[in-house]
Amino acid sequence: MKSLQVKQLVKTFDKKEIVKGISFEIEKGQLLTLLGPSGCGKTTTLRMIAGIEIPDRGEILIDEKLASSDKKIYISQKERHIGMVFQDLALWPHMTVYENIEFGLKSNGIRRDERRKKIEEVLQCINMQKYARAYPQTLSGGQKQLVAIARSIVTRPRLLLMDEPLSNIDVKLRQDIRQEIKRIQQETNITTLYVTHDQEDAFFLSNRIAVINEGKIEQIGSPEEIYFSPESLFVAQFVGESNCIDVKITGKDRLLTPWGGYVHPTNKLTTGTAKIFFRPHQVKIDPDGRCEGKIVKRDFMGEWFRYHVSSSGVEIVLYDENNYDVGKYVKFSINKMVTI
Amino acid sequence: MQKNLTLIFFLALFSCIAFFPIAWMFGGSLYEGGSISFVYYHDIFLTKKYADIISRSLILASVAAIFAVLMGVPAGFFLAKTNFFLKNFYKLCFFIPLIIPPYTIGIAWTNILGKAGFLNQFLSHYLFLPPQSVSAFIYSIYGASFILSMNLFPLIMIMTEYALKNVPSSLEESGLISGSFFQVMKGITLPLISPVIFSGMMIAFVFSLSEFGVPSLLQLNVLTTQIFTQFSAFYNEKAATALAFPLIMITIIIFASEQCKMRGKSFEILGKSGSQAFMEYHFTWLRVSGLVFCTVLFLIVIILPFCSLLISIDTFKVYRDAFALAKNGIVNSVVFGGIGASILTVVGFFLGYATEKTRWRLKEGISTFVWIFFAVPATVAGIGLIKLWNRPHGAFQFIYGTFGIILIGYIIRFVPLSSRIMANFFRQIPQSMEEAGAVTGASWFRITGNILAPLQKNGIIATWIISFIFCIGELGTTLLVYPPGHETLPIALFTVMANSPENIVSALTLLLIGMTLLPVGIFFLISKYAFAKKITP
Repeated sequence: MKSLQVKQLVKTFDKKEIVKGISFEIEKGQLLTLLGPSGCGKTTTLRMIAGIEIPDRGEILIDEKLASSDKKIYISQKERHIGMVFQDLALWPHMTVYENIEFGLKSNGIRRDERRKKIEEVLQCINMQKYARAYPQTLSGGQKQLVAIARSIVTRPRLLLMDEPLSNIDVKLRQDIRQEIKRIQQETNITTLYVTHDQEDAFFLSNRIAVINEGKIEQIGSPEEIYFSPESLFVAQFVGESNCIDVKITGKDRLLTPWGGYVHPTNKLTTGTAKIFFRPHQVKIDPDGRCEGKIVKRDFMGEWFRYHVSSSGVEIVLYDENNYDVGKYVKFSINKMVTI
Repeated sequence: MQKNLTLIFFLALFSCIAFFPIAWMFGGSLYEGGSISFVYYHDIFLTKKYADIISRSLILASVAAIFAVLMGVPAGFFLAKTNFFLKNFYKLCFFIPLIIPPYTIGIAWTNILGKAGFLNQFLSHYLFLPPQSVSAFIYSIYGASFILSMNLFPLIMIMTEYALKNVPSSLEESGLISGSFFQVMKGITLPLISPVIFSGMMIAFVFSLSEFGVPSLLQLNVLTTQIFTQFSAFYNEKAATALAFPLIMITIIIFASEQCKMRGKSFEILGKSGSQAFMEYHFTWLRVSGLVFCTVLFLIVIILPFCSLLISIDTFKVYRDAFALAKNGIVNSVVFGGIGASILTVVGFFLGYATEKTRWRLKEGISTFVWIFFAVPATVAGIGLIKLWNRPHGAFQFIYGTFGIILIGYIIRFVPLSSRIMANFFRQIPQSMEEAGAVTGASWFRITGNILAPLQKNGIIATWIISFIFCIGELGTTLLVYPPGHETLPIALFTVMANSPENIVSALTLLLIGMTLLPVGIFFLISKYAFAKKITP
């Protein structure tokens, strides 16, 4: 069953089209991430699904029921039964943790004893029972994140929307909270739409990722597909570090690269130009490699080195554990590449 | 839907209450002898008598604005840029003249510089100035400007201090590497804050132009007093309305230009402190200058006026007599002020929300429309109310014959202010706070009651207190519309000034000042000890 279907969604602000016909679906219990740079329209898409913004065109179906079509709203914000975690968390500072979580239950007319039971359950789930009477401003950053998540899931929403909830916390805490989000999502099995510009969050949490650029979806796929088989130059360059090299197509599955001819799928093209794409770790320094180049820059990254190698008129990036001097000539081989 | 209907209701309510009387009044002034006529406007613009009155008003307002800048800018500068003994004490004290009604300062200064005033006697004895010339000064346009500037300089002081605290220290530090302190001030700091000073000056100009209490106390023939005279002495409401026209046009132009240039930020900054790292100087000469300037200012605006009022009251019996004389007025002031402040807070809450938190396309226009009513002089609002609500056969007697008419006067005059204060507090509440409530399925009323109102608690209390202060000090509109038996303390004070001894007037003035300062003191204590503990949004 599909928990969420978004079809050709369009939204314009001040005569500028921010979302340009976005379509995607999420199966029940899955987590899909909208991944893209700032201003690409991912938060606007999320807010349209939540019912905070009204779309200009397109359809939104929640649990296969039409929620909105063009500017018409069929399921109001109140009736959508959605949970949402905001970027700034939006914890109400005048309410305790307990009251913050209780608000949604009260709004839905849940009885007091049932409310208490549900709140205790959710507090147990995030392991924060003893903070029930604390005010948000007395909690640590990570605890606030958990309370915001608890508040959004306590009503058992049909859909959970998360708008860059980890954007304001430090790296170490981010890793911990990320794991907590994954655990909670898997335990509760709530269908989740997660918005972020951080690819690590996206890869760690998602069943599927939709990469958005300038209001359009560039590619939807599993984290592995997005990382290893980008379908556009934008995806290749936005997700992870990459090498993109101009090549000529000399025939069916035949490429002319700066290092000579390669037999490689050319997406049914037999002539013209294309780009080959490969990740730095897909290149290995190899005494038997067919390519040769000069190390022009070396960055120490802790457990490994990042090398910029100038070879046959192009510069590529590769990673290696061994320490080589700048200026040294090395041979290398490209283990895997994709034609775009 | 709930939200839009509620907000539209309050907007329509304010529009009906405020717009109709003024529109009705101006409409009436254009109708003479059964046809449309500009006869009254013709008189105003082409008669020398009225041209003199207009120019006197402009001189009064200009000089008051200049005096206020001369006092407020250095005070704001010293408070922001250096540290000296008693700095915080002086800062707190300088708020007092802004809070109390300006005519109370006027009463104090007429005591000081009047013919029998102690400073007049001192100056005539030691400086050989004729006593008449000293008292003539305080009863002149310039004396009125001086009094009004004492009331308004704290506004410019606060704006200057805030603007200076928002100049990033790096801008001045980079200047100090190659230039002297004075070069940095002249070349970097002052040009950066000059729009704020100019804006403050414009606001002081508008307030002085539309002030009725001080010119009336000093018996000056300016626009506001002439409007009152035309209406109450000559029963010529159309001439009074026509006289109000240039006043309203000038104030609207100035407020509209302030709105365009500063986007209302001149008022937004009131009550806020600087948010960035700013430069503070610790030169000894600067600290001494700050101490001397603020001490002299403190003596002039606080010590002298208060001492003159206190000295003129020789026995405690005077307070008792004054209280007995104005008991009814005191009770009415507190009751009407309390009810008025509550109404202003509720209306201000929803209009502030409408102009700050909605996505209405016309919200900027609505904000300007509401704000323009703050420029309507008190006497003009009073005449408009009489024109609209004083109907033949007592049709609206349930309003016009009761304190309801006073409350309506408060709404016309002070909703622009209460809504602006609320809007500024609403600006500090992130949109996501409300949205987080909405996604849970809560109704807008529930969100308003459980989220917005508690988050806006400080704003609500501040708005109520400021509204209360303005209501209990209101004179110009109330003087025209109050029904018999419903006089307030300012009315009682205005009445006894004409026919009671000076000590009684002084005692009543002190009572009014005390009533004004008391809620501020209570608010200060509550906000310091109660709210600070719990809410830190």
